[in-house]
Amino acid sequence: MTSNVPAVAQPKPWLLPAAFLLVLLSFVAAVFLGVVDIPADDVMSVLTGGGSPEARSIILDIRLPRIVTGILAGIQFAVAGLLLQTITRNPLADPSLMGVSQGATLTVTTFLLFTVYIFNPGSNTLAELPIGWLPTAGLVGGMAAGGLIYLMAFRLDLSPLRITLCGIAIGAVLHALAIGLIAGWGSARIEIILEWLSGSLYARTWDHAIFLLPFTVAGLAALPLIYRPLILLQFDAALARSFGLSYRKQFSLVLLVSCALAASAVGAIGPIVFVGLIVPHLARFLAGRHFPLVLPLTTVLGAVIVTLGDLIGRLVGRAEEVPIGVVTAIVGVPILIALLRKVP
Amino acid sequence: MDARKSSIAIAFVVVATLLVMVVGLLPGAKTLSIETALRVLFAPDGKIDSILIWTLRLPRSLAAAVAGAGLAVSGYLLQALTRNPLADPGITGVTAGAIAPIVACFVLLPWFSSLYYPFVGLAGGLAAASVTFWVARGGNGRPLHLALGGLSVSLFLGAITIYVLLLAGPQSTALMFWISGGFAGRSWSHVLHILPWVAVGVGGALLLHRVVAMFSLSDHAAAGMGVQLNLWKPVLLVLGICPVAGVAPVSGPVAFVGLAAPHIARLLRPRGTAWEIALSAAIGSLIVTSADLIGRTIAIPKEIPVGIMTALLGGPIFVYLIQRGRLDFKGEGA
Repeated sequence: MTSNVPAVAQPKPWLLPAAFLLVLLSFVAAVFLGVVDIPADDVMSVLTGGGSPEARSIILDIRLPRIVTGILAGIQFAVAGLLLQTITRNPLADPSLMGVSQGATLTVTTFLLFTVYIFNPGSNTLAELPIGWLPTAGLVGGMAAGGLIYLMAFRLDLSPLRITLCGIAIGAVLHALAIGLIAGWGSARIEIILEWLSGSLYARTWDHAIFLLPFTVAGLAALPLIYRPLILLQFDAALARSFGLSYRKQFSLVLLVSCALAASAVGAIGPIVFVGLIVPHLARFLAGRHFPLVLPLTTVLGAVIVTLGDLIGRLVGRAEEVPIGVVTAIVGVPILIALLRKVP
Repeated sequence: MDARKSSIAIAFVVVATLLVMVVGLLPGAKTLSIETALRVLFAPDGKIDSILIWTLRLPRSLAAAVAGAGLAVSGYLLQALTRNPLADPGITGVTAGAIAPIVACFVLLPWFSSLYYPFVGLAGGLAAASVTFWVARGGNGRPLHLALGGLSVSLFLGAITIYVLLLAGPQSTALMFWISGGFAGRSWSHVLHILPWVAVGVGGALLLHRVVAMFSLSDHAAAGMGVQLNLWKPVLLVLGICPVAGVAPVSGPVAFVGLAAPHIARLLRPRGTAWEIALSAAIGSLIVTSADLIGRTIAIPKEIPVGIMTALLGGPIFVYLIQRGRLDFKGEGA
């Protein structure tokens, strides 16, 4: 039989194992490399329970928590981006293009200023603040922004294009508010907030990883529930309805999961742009339109990109490390522009 | 609307702007009565009230009015040039393109005179606009592509700006206030700094209004009328970016004015492009002076930067325009 039918989905079975290998490699690289040179033997002995106290504290208290936080946040950004792209049927949607990141930024900024003024007037670094609560603070703002998207989609009955445009507008307003808050009330503490705003894994502790973990687990656990609707929502509201799907309910459910993932990750490591945008594209580029493969690939590659981005930032800047948000922006924009030129 | 009605509309907006500016002279650390304000405005006597008005409040209002006119015309030109109703200095990345290199100069090259900042802003704005328009052309100039291209350029430059701010250390406080956009403490020298840049943009747009009007036709129609659009495109682009480059070093980014003012002007249906441009400029002045007045009176003694106020006012207008289908692109299926 000659196949005149275009090959819609040719699953490449080696992709997923290869991606997992990449995670492992980047994880190992991130553990072994850093500003402080620790010989590989010492790293090994720390990992097996021995090692000098300094090496132990550098690896167990500094490197590992930030790597784990980065992996969790990377997974969340990437999956949130994929979900948003699917339901808005806009291949270029991203939490930072839809106002979700900006909503989270606004509440986190408010929370930081509030805690600085009320509880910790003397604190001079981010680490002295109750930063473990940041994902929760981000969640509130991100979910509120998600509520606005929902209102736009159903109350205002906007098309996917117009929803995206409104998302951009709402994002601009919320961002302006956050910057205004920092400028007006930040005074001497501006540097602390800037550190978070630039998107950084600097000084992230086990607290962050632990606070982020339930969000990652809950988000990933929800995926099987929304898997079937997601496949239909990729195409059309009408098609989804013809399959007996309650479009409104499923749209809201996916939006909810997406916002929760993105907003808590913004809270933990700051408004990182482009991870949610680029990773799903990378996954689609590798796996074609084979959704059962795109989803896990997105998850895995999200972890890789944030881990590597953070490692690059640490190694390039040495003591003055380059925040990962800057690294992803510099690496991601050319890719995004190439995509924009290609997407018809 | 004929030319007479168009000129009445402009006169109305200008009078409203003047009224806002006069009212804006009254509130502050020392609230003045309207009689005192008017008296020292026309007969300065060198006393405290006079100094208050002539060195603090008047230049600030004037700076806001001039900046508003410039930003509005900037938005008008960018919208005409791209035949894209969404184009505006903020959305096309021009503002971020002007801001990022200025912040970088301030932090990294402290010996660099601030007099040259508008040129730095112009170069950055042009570069950013070029990238955005290049990206948008890949999507046949669809509004979504322009918006996404501009936004990605803005996000990229925003990330770099924040990083430079991080390097700036203690200076970041002042820079942060500047980045939120505002006219607090602006003096006569600031007015003089932005005036020529805005004059070039507004004057140029008015002089070339026939060419600007041609851009609303299709390329074929314009070519049939003997206008070489490709020749004029870079000229109008520079004219459109000049006001932003001049305003940005003084006020920081002021969002949504360039987007909203031309749309509001068009709602009034003035006759002809020149009237539309003039009306946009007047409405831009009205928006920014009002936003400045509200921002500094609503939360006394704190000031809300004018950039925040225009974003708060402009965002809902933007959503309303989208919902009403007013921003839909006339070309093929958005």
